[in-house]
Amino acid sequence: MSSISEYRAQEESITMAPLGEQIAEQGEEDRELMTLNIGPHHPATHGVLRLLVTLDGEVVRDLKPIIGYVHTGIEKTAEDKSYWKAIPVVERMDYLAYYFNAFAFCGATETLLGVEVPKRAQYLRVLHLELNRIMSHLVWLGTSALDLGAMSMFWYCFREREAVLDLFEMSSGQRMHTRYIQVGGVIEDIPAGFEERVRAFCAQMPTRVDQYNDLLDRNEIVLRRLRHVCPMGADELLALGVTGPLLRAAGNPWDLRKAMPYSSYEDFDFAIPVGTEGDNYDRFAVRLAEIKESVKIVEQCLDGLPEGPYITDDRKVALPPRHELATSMEALIHHFKLVTEGFRVPPGEVYYPIESPRGELGCFVRSDGSSKPARVHMRDPSFVNLQATAPMTKDAYLADLIATLAMLDPVLGGIDR
Amino acid sequence: MAWPPTPQELITVSAPSPGGAGGAYRAFGETLRGLKTTMARVFEGIHTIQYPEEKVPVYPRFRGRHRLHRFEDTGLEKCVGCSLCAAACPADCIRVVAAENTPEHRISAGERYAAVYEINLSRCIFCGYCEVACPFDAITMGQDYEMSDYSRSDLIFTKEMLLAEPLDRTPLRAEGE
Repeated sequence: MSSISEYRAQEESITMAPLGEQIAEQGEEDRELMTLNIGPHHPATHGVLRLLVTLDGEVVRDLKPIIGYVHTGIEKTAEDKSYWKAIPVVERMDYLAYYFNAFAFCGATETLLGVEVPKRAQYLRVLHLELNRIMSHLVWLGTSALDLGAMSMFWYCFREREAVLDLFEMSSGQRMHTRYIQVGGVIEDIPAGFEERVRAFCAQMPTRVDQYNDLLDRNEIVLRRLRHVCPMGADELLALGVTGPLLRAAGNPWDLRKAMPYSSYEDFDFAIPVGTEGDNYDRFAVRLAEIKESVKIVEQCLDGLPEGPYITDDRKVALPPRHELATSMEALIHHFKLVTEGFRVPPGEVYYPIESPRGELGCFVRSDGSSKPARVHMRDPSFVNLQATAPMTKDAYLADLIATLAMLDPVLGGIDR
Repeated sequence: MAWPPTPQELITVSAPSPGGAGGAYRAFGETLRGLKTTMARVFEGIHTIQYPEEKVPVYPRFRGRHRLHRFEDTGLEKCVGCSLCAAACPADCIRVVAAENTPEHRISAGERYAAVYEINLSRCIFCGYCEVACPFDAITMGQDYEMSDYSRSDLIFTKEMLLAEPLDRTPLRAEGE
């Protein structure tokens, strides 16, 4: 028997609803279990996630997340592109954290190359990463509040998100998937007038967060929907590999920005919001507090923005400045070489973890010495966090499952990759 | 900064348990506070715009539909058919076929010119690498973002379409706007 059919036999032996018979045997034949298919096209699943739920009345007895509906094969595609060309492709995995995807990939490549990133570029990266974190949390808050029935939150959050996207368009030329972060730095310096706009946004954002808090934080309906609902302890979360705001909500302050500072995060003074119970309310409140901390980091970034180059001057890695193309033959040769073949990366492998809005986003890159990566893999936090759904929502109400899923903040583009 | 973080570096979030006497207060007091917040937003004015009658102006760095350029004085095409844009394209949506210029049939300023220049806009991801790669500034990303069409074949833009002056459909943001 060939190995393919063995694999197929193993795949087909997995039953999708194994719990049905077990509970019916307990002498309660009149209780009937129902298997309900939530998704893949369901607004409450935040993407194309399919949940196979075994329901006892409206109590969730078993849950199977089924993924793969937006599988794009980006990791494989990146193997066929030179490092430079892989950046805009890799960016499209987790479509709410594009700066993070690009940065994890560029950071891994820079580690392999041994390239020093100028201080200004590091600050500009942090500036955009934190704006991206605010944007991602705003989308999460808007859609999650919508799941809980708070319609106006959605409009408020998307109003502020619009302001962040406007800033991205101004500095990077595109609202989403900006390919701003490049290997060795960033592609362009920030334009004139950008700083004032970011400052205006930073001045406004904390009051907006206060308004969100006025609406939601102590609201009795929100408390009843979220407080003490579907809690999970830090140890169990760690055993499942869950990171990010979910872990911090359970009281473990694990934050890679402080634990293993990268890209000059050690220069910034910010606090880590933690929860106590690890219930849905803590997950909500931790993220909301994180928005305020991100605003603080952005302001510190602007205050301490050092002068200097925005991309490394290593001509073997970064494109030469445009004005040199007309005057310097050497620059033109480097330009042609970098665009057509790209730079060669010494053989080796590296894992580069960063703190994305959803947890530890790690990029693994293996190089075989050529100009294309031999393997690119992303440890996407939403993928790992999703496996906590079933233990979290065991014996909870169906409505609480929707709330828990909202507080998990899965992004299916990142899960399926 | 060291790990583990000091207690000063942590913000502990907390909330009361729902229900009870506090719950009875919150059911009215907090709801009223929320309503006040919502009502106060009325005076902030309208944040939406009436698209497509009104359009959002784009920033100078915005990457919209591509344009090919000519020299203003001679009218010759800037593109010399070097295919660097096609090499840089991560989506492989650009096709360039180069041909030789002759003295009686001169198209571009260089030795060669692009006999065929096609961009498949249904594949383009608007990363702008073509613009970065072009050593002669022959291709740039314009400000047009309204590109939807009824058939896919209409989204393959030929050289003539890319060289033509684009319809002024989407405004550019003025200085300080």
